[in-house]
Amino acid sequence: MRLRLALRPYLLIAPALLLTCGILYPFGLGLYYTLFDFSASKPQPDMVRLHNYETVFTEDAFWNSAWVTVQYAVGAAAVETVLGVAVALLLHRSSLVGRVLEKILILPLMIAPVIAAIMWKLMLQPSVGVVDHLLKPFGLGGVQWTDTPTGALLSSIAVDVWVYTPFVAILALAGLRSLPTSPFEAAAVDGAGWWYTFRRLTLPMLWPYVLVAVIFRFMDSLKVFDIIYALTEGGPGDSTVALQIRAYLEAIRFQRYSFGISYTIVLWAVVYLAAMVLVRHLGRSQRKAAEVK
Amino acid sequence: MSVALRDVHKRYGRTKALDGIELRVEEGEFFCLLGPSGAGKTTTLKTVAGLERPDRGSVEIGGRDVRDVEPYDRGVAMCFESYALYPHRSVYDNLASPLRSPRHRLPAAEARDRVGAIAELLGISALLDRPVGQLSNGQRQRVALGRVLVRPARAFLLDEPLSHLDAKLRQQMRAELKAIGAVRRTTTLYVTHDSVEALALGDRIGVIRQGRIVQTGTREDIWYRPHDTEVARAFGRPRINLLPGTVTGGGVFRSADGAVELPLAVPVPRGTEVLVGVRPRDVSLTGDMTGDGHRLAGSVYVTEVLGRSVEVTVRIGAQQLSLVAARSEAGGLRVDDPVRPAVRPESLLVFEADRPERPGRRIERR
Amino acid sequence: MTHKKRLLGWLADAALVLYFLFALFPIAWMVILSLKPADQLFSTYFSFTPTLGSYRTVLGDSEGIPFVRFFVNSLVVSVGAVALSLVVGLPAAYASARWRFKGSENLMFTLLSFRFAPELTVIIPLFVLYQKLGLFDTYVGMVWVLQLVTLPLVVWIMRSYFADLTPELEQAALLDGYSRKQAFFKVALPLVKPGIAAVSLLAFIFAWNNFVFPLILTSSSAQTVTVGALSFLGGDRPRYNLTAAAALVSVVPPLLLALTIQRYLVRGLSFGAVKS
Repeated sequence: MRLRLALRPYLLIAPALLLTCGILYPFGLGLYYTLFDFSASKPQPDMVRLHNYETVFTEDAFWNSAWVTVQYAVGAAAVETVLGVAVALLLHRSSLVGRVLEKILILPLMIAPVIAAIMWKLMLQPSVGVVDHLLKPFGLGGVQWTDTPTGALLSSIAVDVWVYTPFVAILALAGLRSLPTSPFEAAAVDGAGWWYTFRRLTLPMLWPYVLVAVIFRFMDSLKVFDIIYALTEGGPGDSTVALQIRAYLEAIRFQRYSFGISYTIVLWAVVYLAAMVLVRHLGRSQRKAAEVK
Repeated sequence: MSVALRDVHKRYGRTKALDGIELRVEEGEFFCLLGPSGAGKTTTLKTVAGLERPDRGSVEIGGRDVRDVEPYDRGVAMCFESYALYPHRSVYDNLASPLRSPRHRLPAAEARDRVGAIAELLGISALLDRPVGQLSNGQRQRVALGRVLVRPARAFLLDEPLSHLDAKLRQQMRAELKAIGAVRRTTTLYVTHDSVEALALGDRIGVIRQGRIVQTGTREDIWYRPHDTEVARAFGRPRINLLPGTVTGGGVFRSADGAVELPLAVPVPRGTEVLVGVRPRDVSLTGDMTGDGHRLAGSVYVTEVLGRSVEVTVRIGAQQLSLVAARSEAGGLRVDDPVRPAVRPESLLVFEADRPERPGRRIERR
Repeated sequence: MTHKKRLLGWLADAALVLYFLFALFPIAWMVILSLKPADQLFSTYFSFTPTLGSYRTVLGDSEGIPFVRFFVNSLVVSVGAVALSLVVGLPAAYASARWRFKGSENLMFTLLSFRFAPELTVIIPLFVLYQKLGLFDTYVGMVWVLQLVTLPLVVWIMRSYFADLTPELEQAALLDGYSRKQAFFKVALPLVKPGIAAVSLLAFIFAWNNFVFPLILTSSSAQTVTVGALSFLGGDRPRYNLTAAAALVSVVPPLLLALTIQRYLVRGLSFGAVKS
């Protein structure tokens, strides 16, 4: 009787636990593989200990990928944050235009990133794409959007921004709508200006919400795959080979399984570290926001 | 059935909710558990109901240890402070819920009669088809009470059932509650933070503080023989007067500034620091009714009309003494008028001085 | 002052419209592209004779790409993944909302870390494993791996819904004479129904939109629309109109569902961290 009572919660989570183990198993297996030189050409692998990781860290290709990934993640997260918060602030004014547009805000977010990349790929075609056509009158015609290293990176970031800005905007808007009104009324009575109110009241109280969005966006874009795969496949050259793209190329295209997984493990560690730092920051900003209230 | 808790302890993480509760409610008794919020009242009820498991100690219902008995097998009915009505169902469905359960199932027709009778009793017959969300607090409270009464129970556990009501409705329900036959016959453990409610309803009262029962007794016990200053303060409005001072030779109380001197009927060693308590209704303004009372000299500080009577606060040196007088006696008083209120030594309660770690205990007559 | 204010209001609206042009134009352009006949693809931009030919081709499985099959596959694996996650995740979410215990905290944290783990860490070993187990390019294999996406979502969001529900309702049911199982099914579950609906749809959308799992773990018989749409871009001649049609067909289900759960979206997208 007693035992059954104590066991009940465990019985309830048991199926989920089992399924989780079903996912953890390949993860553990992958970790184990990285200690070998397992590949399609070597199905009976030898133990190489940490040699795969040594290779990863001494390869120029890795550092190039890491740099691409960081540029991509920082660039995308930064633009999305600024643009998303701006859109949220504009929608929060709730003009007639805003109320109508808010209903369709989420559309890009619900489109599969890979489909979004396909859409943009069609639009960015250098000779027949519509973007070129529309920009020609502004003297911006003939830009090689996805065919130059810088252009390819910026184009990928642009697609990310297109898909995920609504994500930041939706969370920021929810934050804005949940802010208490009394501090703003007090500020209005004191005759505070818009900028002062925004910097001293809105931003600190809103920041925890924005930060939740930033955490999600930054960590997701560190492991970008779909958008770059569909838009540039890592090219031209190695210019957009983010870490997961590199891992894919190594493991699936070249069938060097162990080596490919090593890449993802390193990426996983980076994401984990980023998460720790950001979540700690989130805690701090939540306390600060509570003080303002 | 009687209900008993023995040395019940319960912790939530670092906070101690129950710290050795000892309680016995006799068969058919209406027992009021009184205490401030956070004292452990609700936890005590939930422990009896089996919704919380004590870390230590035992709960007995009808003399049987119910440690391993599931809530639905304990046969107790509970009214939650939050009402805990099912928001997605109608009033009828809420009331009928116990009668559809495997444990208390009745045939549909019988259940309908039973729910009808209870709804009649509580005056909510007209609401049966309404969703619970549309009810006022008073109506919800009746529905919650109805769900408790609708089926037989070995004991009722009522958690602040009147606390969300407005003053008038509360008074009315208080009167009705004890008139209900089922409540009169069934062992009831009633939790409240309102001392008036406890005095009005309880056959016996238990005062709970920081997870411990401080005192149990009849209303006379609690009123005339409070365990300590805090119990004394908890009962009676206006609050009891508590004057600090020391005991001088011959068993006389003397306030620090010497302005108040009162002979004590309780033998207290000389030099003891004490608090002397006297209830405002035991102080006479004119001394007429208490001819043998001890007189004090002071002046009127403030008066406040309480319906037919008046609360007069008298300044005596650095002390303030409040008393309740008839309007005819006190009607003409102005601020600073000299008065000579009288106190009888028998009505004085003597307490040890309050200490930081615990309120001062009453010093007993021997 | 009021004059200046009105001007600012217009400017703000103009900025909003500008953003929404950016957000909606690609979708509009896809519609245009998908309606263009093949011979006008490269000769015009906005003026053309609309035709449904591209849709007929895509849905008619010509060009050697069985797109309808992919669509059905997407439907099957997404529904399967959500169903499995609900069956397994609801009890776990309930348990961890009602009882604090070490096992549940560890489970919750592990599930959250799935949300942020690079997918390939799991998929590459699964690629090897599935070939051995015969799960490569099967529905079962896809439903299993999609748990990486749907299970954390279901458990985290449903936990926040259960946590919002006062336990006293279920306690009242226990005292009414119901067993714990009945209290869960008759009281707790009906009250979180909106949450279940929202999380199911959101999990469905995420499963549907997933690309990397089917890319690596399927080849044809269990392949989904996201991979299928991309294959129209391959080949030796550009089939932009077909690609656009395929892309649009594949975004219809998530877009329709998304519009129905707008209200619950915030909590879902933030894993329960932000409530609206």
